[in-house]
Amino acid sequence: MRSLFSDAPRVTLTAIYWAFIFYLLLPLTLMMAMSFKDANFVAFPIGEWTLDWYAKVLQDKQFLEACLYSIMIAAATTLAATVLGVWIAMLIVAEGIKGQVIIFALACLPAVVPGMISAISLRIFISTIDMPTGTAAIILGHTVHAVPFVVVMALTRLRSMPGNLVDAARDLGADSFVAFLRVTLPYLGPALFGGMIFCVLLSIDDFVRTFFLGGYRPTLPMLIFAKVQGGMSPEINAMATLVLVVTAAVGLYAEYLTRRARTR
Amino acid sequence: MEPVVQFDHVTKNYGSQVAVDDLNLSIEAGKFVTLLGPSGCGKSTSLRMLGGFEMPTSGRILLSGKDVTRVPPNKRNVNIVFQDYALFPHMNVAKNIAFGLELKGLDNKSIHRRVSELLELVQLQDYANRLPNELSGGQRQRVALMRALAPDPDVLLLDEPLSALDAKLRQQMQIELKAIQEKTGKTFMFVTHDQEEALTMSDTIVVMNNGRIEQMGDPSTLYGRPGSVFVANFIGETNLLRSTVLGAEGNLTALDWNGITIKADQGGLSPKAGEHLYVVLRPESIHCSATEPTSGNRIKGKIRQRVFKGNHTSLAVEVGDGAVLNTLVHPGDVAQLAGDDIWVGWKPETATVIPDRHAHR
Repeated sequence: MRSLFSDAPRVTLTAIYWAFIFYLLLPLTLMMAMSFKDANFVAFPIGEWTLDWYAKVLQDKQFLEACLYSIMIAAATTLAATVLGVWIAMLIVAEGIKGQVIIFALACLPAVVPGMISAISLRIFISTIDMPTGTAAIILGHTVHAVPFVVVMALTRLRSMPGNLVDAARDLGADSFVAFLRVTLPYLGPALFGGMIFCVLLSIDDFVRTFFLGGYRPTLPMLIFAKVQGGMSPEINAMATLVLVVTAAVGLYAEYLTRRARTR
Repeated sequence: MEPVVQFDHVTKNYGSQVAVDDLNLSIEAGKFVTLLGPSGCGKSTSLRMLGGFEMPTSGRILLSGKDVTRVPPNKRNVNIVFQDYALFPHMNVAKNIAFGLELKGLDNKSIHRRVSELLELVQLQDYANRLPNELSGGQRQRVALMRALAPDPDVLLLDEPLSALDAKLRQQMQIELKAIQEKTGKTFMFVTHDQEEALTMSDTIVVMNNGRIEQMGDPSTLYGRPGSVFVANFIGETNLLRSTVLGAEGNLTALDWNGITIKADQGGLSPKAGEHLYVVLRPESIHCSATEPTSGNRIKGKIRQRVFKGNHTSLAVEVGDGAVLNTLVHPGDVAQLAGDDIWVGWKPETATVIPDRHAHR
């Protein structure tokens, strides 16, 4: 016989699930709501609604410069991490190379080392080799962090690749390099694209490493951090909302593209 | 004429395991040659060595007279049709076929001409822009074949290419493959474990076992005059009658099989009285009748099993004490074999003797 109690586990689970969703979305919703508030203070109640804060953000030279700087760093990071990641993944699946497990473990390590530890050690490292803080150091730090994600994504795809595709290319006259360029790389395509988008998002989002390795020029998270130090204002909410919407759109679009490529 | 492919004392070891054992094989240009054998007999390894994907442990491989033993696959003028086709998934049909041509450095116009010529050969003109996963199994098979033929190889290697197809399509493709081979005049080296495929298409069949050549010859010779028990068992259905030689009678040998005296062709051997031999007797050579045949070998037996196979009925006939002969009867003749007591008979020259290797050990 069904009773209230036999339904209890299911009801509880459902309740916990919705409570979690609520808890997840509430801060974001609040942040977005405040960005439309026509007053200087971030607090309820919201009397008048306005888009002025957005207009202000979009005219803010500091903000636009920080955006551009972040995007540039993300692009350089993505390029470096993709080349390195694919190379390491190829090493791991290649025949006749010893210590592949160790290569894999080392390649994945930066993804699990706490950001703080990673940032401090990178800072110590660049000062040991007399590298100045700034753009190059930031790119270095972000790349180290992004490589594991490219490796894992490329590896998954490589392992699903029919072994004789490369053999077929070789058989038809391609040397190893041409076979890699014309067969392996296009096969990796969807996975690489996903991995690259991930690199971009990781880099744009990164605060700790940038903070330790950066110079005077602020990236986007650093700029927002600096502004928050100066006191909350709906302008910061508008800024964060913009970043949130753009990154979410990019992430979803990438997911959509890789899904489509995978089902093809 | 110089053979297009020569295996010269080729041996391949994997650790302590011998995959190919001192293989000597010459293949004439323009022939359809099949390497036939059970899995692990060394046929695929031999093919991969010729393709350049495996290095022989010892020995030489010659292609059109040139030693290619240490030449990498991309520098050899042979192409492989892989078992699962290995079509490039991101390239359409035309691009797949053009791949080898582009790497040969042909200009766009000649590539285009050659691709459409090949597509026409297999009636896939309308599929040039399709991706491999938009094709059926048989179409993929044809594309893989054309891609390998495109660069005009000295030898085309086919590694069990029909095994992924269903039975009906496989038969169709056998005929088509043979037709393409004849039309192009290319040397085909085909690897399979399917004796029916080998019999249907080949000019020459090389039966391999344990890394060695067991027997080599044209299909009808291998079927009619197998040289060993292994070949007799591997190719076609067969009855193997272990018998003792009684003596020669012209071209025939009289033998004792389970106390029954039978005669069989000597098959090139000169059997001595008292020697143990096998008599190879194909089911279709046996004639069943309700009354005693007037000539040839004849034995009275009992039908133990009838299996309807559509175009024939196969019978298991018990003769003597426990010995069973497998035979087949055509539909028109089944009616007169209503009872279980029948006569089986065969002409002595349709059975042949082969040596019993185990007897010598």
